[in-house]
Amino acid sequence: MPKSISFVGHWQKVTLILWAIALVCFLFSDTEIISLDPWSELQRMIQGLMTPDFFATEYLLEALWQTISFALLGVLGGLIWGAPLALLYSNRFIAAGCAVIRSIHEIFWALIFLQIFGLSPLTGILAIALPYGATFARVFFDILLQSPQSTVETLPARTDRVSRYFYGKISHVMVPILAYIRYRFECALRSSAVLGFIGMPTLGFYLETAFRQGHYHEGAALLILFIALIGSITFWCRPRLIIIYLVLALFTLPSMHSIDASLVWRFLSQDILPPALQGVTDLSQLDLSRINELINWGKSVFFEQAIPGMLVTLLLALSALAMSHLVSVTLSAFAFKRLTGKFFSVVIRLLLLILRSIPEYIFAFIFMLLLGPSMLPAMLALALHNGALIAFLTIKQSDNVVNSSVYNGRIDGYCYDVLPKIYPNLMGLLFYRFEVILRETAIFGMLGVATLGFYIDSGFSEIRYSTALLLMACTALLNILVDMISRQLLRQNTQTALACR
Amino acid sequence: MGLFKMAALVALSSISSSVFAAVFTFTAIPDENESQLRTRFEKVAFYLEKELGVEVKYVPVKSYSAAVTAFRNNQVQLAWFGGLSGVQARRLVPGSEAIAQGNEDQFFQSYFIAHHSAQIIPSDNFPNLNGVTFTFGSKGSTSGRLMPEFFIERNLGKKAKDVFKRIGFSGDHSRTIAQVESGAYQVGALNYKVWETAVENGTVDVNKVKVIWQSPTYPDYQWTVREGVDNTFGDGFKERLTQALLDMDDPELLASFPRKSFVPADNLDYEPIENVAKAIGLID
Repeated sequence: MPKSISFVGHWQKVTLILWAIALVCFLFSDTEIISLDPWSELQRMIQGLMTPDFFATEYLLEALWQTISFALLGVLGGLIWGAPLALLYSNRFIAAGCAVIRSIHEIFWALIFLQIFGLSPLTGILAIALPYGATFARVFFDILLQSPQSTVETLPARTDRVSRYFYGKISHVMVPILAYIRYRFECALRSSAVLGFIGMPTLGFYLETAFRQGHYHEGAALLILFIALIGSITFWCRPRLIIIYLVLALFTLPSMHSIDASLVWRFLSQDILPPALQGVTDLSQLDLSRINELINWGKSVFFEQAIPGMLVTLLLALSALAMSHLVSVTLSAFAFKRLTGKFFSVVIRLLLLILRSIPEYIFAFIFMLLLGPSMLPAMLALALHNGALIAFLTIKQSDNVVNSSVYNGRIDGYCYDVLPKIYPNLMGLLFYRFEVILRETAIFGMLGVATLGFYIDSGFSEIRYSTALLLMACTALLNILVDMISRQLLRQNTQTALACR
Repeated sequence: MGLFKMAALVALSSISSSVFAAVFTFTAIPDENESQLRTRFEKVAFYLEKELGVEVKYVPVKSYSAAVTAFRNNQVQLAWFGGLSGVQARRLVPGSEAIAQGNEDQFFQSYFIAHHSAQIIPSDNFPNLNGVTFTFGSKGSTSGRLMPEFFIERNLGKKAKDVFKRIGFSGDHSRTIAQVESGAYQVGALNYKVWETAVENGTVDVNKVKVIWQSPTYPDYQWTVREGVDNTFGDGFKERLTQALLDMDDPELLASFPRKSFVPADNLDYEPIENVAKAIGLID
């Protein structure tokens, strides 16, 4: 940045660059608004919302409970394998492995496990536990880095390693770790519901059917229940009750078939092989024509699906990132009590709860009716959901900001006094969230937006697992690339100027 | 990876699976109205249980591909498949057989519907769809995807992706109606029965959306059973099962599918579907 415009501070610069990139992406994206008369369908939807039917869904209580129980067991599973891994996360390979696991959406993990374990609860629980574990490993590692060194240094010389570790490190970060687990549990509830979309017996099973088939009275009721479930976590999810819940969850799991080793073997030895290699038992069968077929297959998947899919995924995710930024900055300002007053801020907080609870899929669904089948509905859905989530996390901080004596309770006061204090954190959350946005683009693939998720979904529905898996590998690569770049950028950021100028 | 929990789950699952060892399990996704699946099909399970004298269980699934997977993994021994998913399933499980189809499934049809603004006149000849926006139903559907795609390619002489300005997969027949009615897509193709039900119930505005072309008939939904059920459930089980399906005459049970009645079918009936699927490259 030349000296002449040095009044543009670090965060202004970052923000402007973000918007510039997003603007370019937006221009290249398919954002055509095609909608002639969505009103009759919209009217049906609003009618449904006005008169929700809570009795239309069969086995509703069971679905509610299974949503909770999959989430609980999934988070527990994630903690069991992810927490210890946090200690080894400085290892480059472990970090990369975790990034690969995280980069695949829960739905696709579930679709893989579906081939191996079938419609068993194990499928759903592992689909949560695996990516969540990888996330725990990364986040706990980051949190542990922040624990102060001084305690360890002042411990007596012969203190054993375990005490050293627990007293010197863990005890310092217990509060943020517990807070993070609580937050992830909320995420797991959403994931658990979303897994219903592909057949797990959670709320999503009925929610997706109701919306897809236009039973809006039922859909609205399920949505309201789901929002209430997430909004009331603090009331029903007491630390003391968790053990009881866990035991109950284990005992009320739907019945499972035993794990069939032959299915696992078949998946690994046949299903994931490209068509050209299926039926090949030893290397001598690998002749030129087969290799040729293999190359052609790889080429066609890569150039016809992976490359266009990646492009759309990136365009969508980057545009959505900038839109999330706008949503989060605006909504966190509106929700600031000392700016907008008590009543208004409470209303906005309720709105934040609703926006962050509703699965993106439902938003995209509604916007698609209003705006037509371009990428715009997906962008808006991602922006509203993630923007609301970031705003929710930001206002936790802004509530504790102490105003200076010049604070005047107006928007200029907010921008001068409060925003600079919360902005670095907000941007940190936003960039952190980019990984999630990138992964969530997958779900719009199932609604027809041609992201990588679209092609992966097609691979599964055409029973071409090798194609789906190759595309998943591309997804993982893309995510690792993005992760590497963002780490690089963030490192520079933290070194130069975290504080606002 | 969560060894403790895995162990607990494995232990639990082995207990439960030994208890339910000889349960005859089936799955079904109706082509219309997927609400109250379990409540409706547990009645079918009860009927089969009475007729066959073995314990029968219904497993709800979300999609055709999930049904195929469950069938392939022997988690269900009987499934009510669409034309395409039935072909896929029988290719994956050699020896499995189509044993019955719905009365209506002998001459099934797809309807092409269009928003009035597209100004396409209903006709017996295949409409000129070049350059319009178009939506299929779900990716694995026979009447919403496979057959329409085939008719498009055969009649217009090029791949569907080269015909249309924009192609979508609405995911469901009723979604296709909604999306064409809202103008999101100009033209769509769907299961004829879903259209007729929508017209009957008044859930579609026929001033805005019209049927512009009716496809020739083809075979669709069918019951497919895995090989080896005779070994597990006793000699002649497959025959008794077929008979029980054909004998199903309770209107309430039939309404779940919804079909008038079931008639005999065999694998050969679905050869045209398999050929079509190969022709458009949906199966290799």
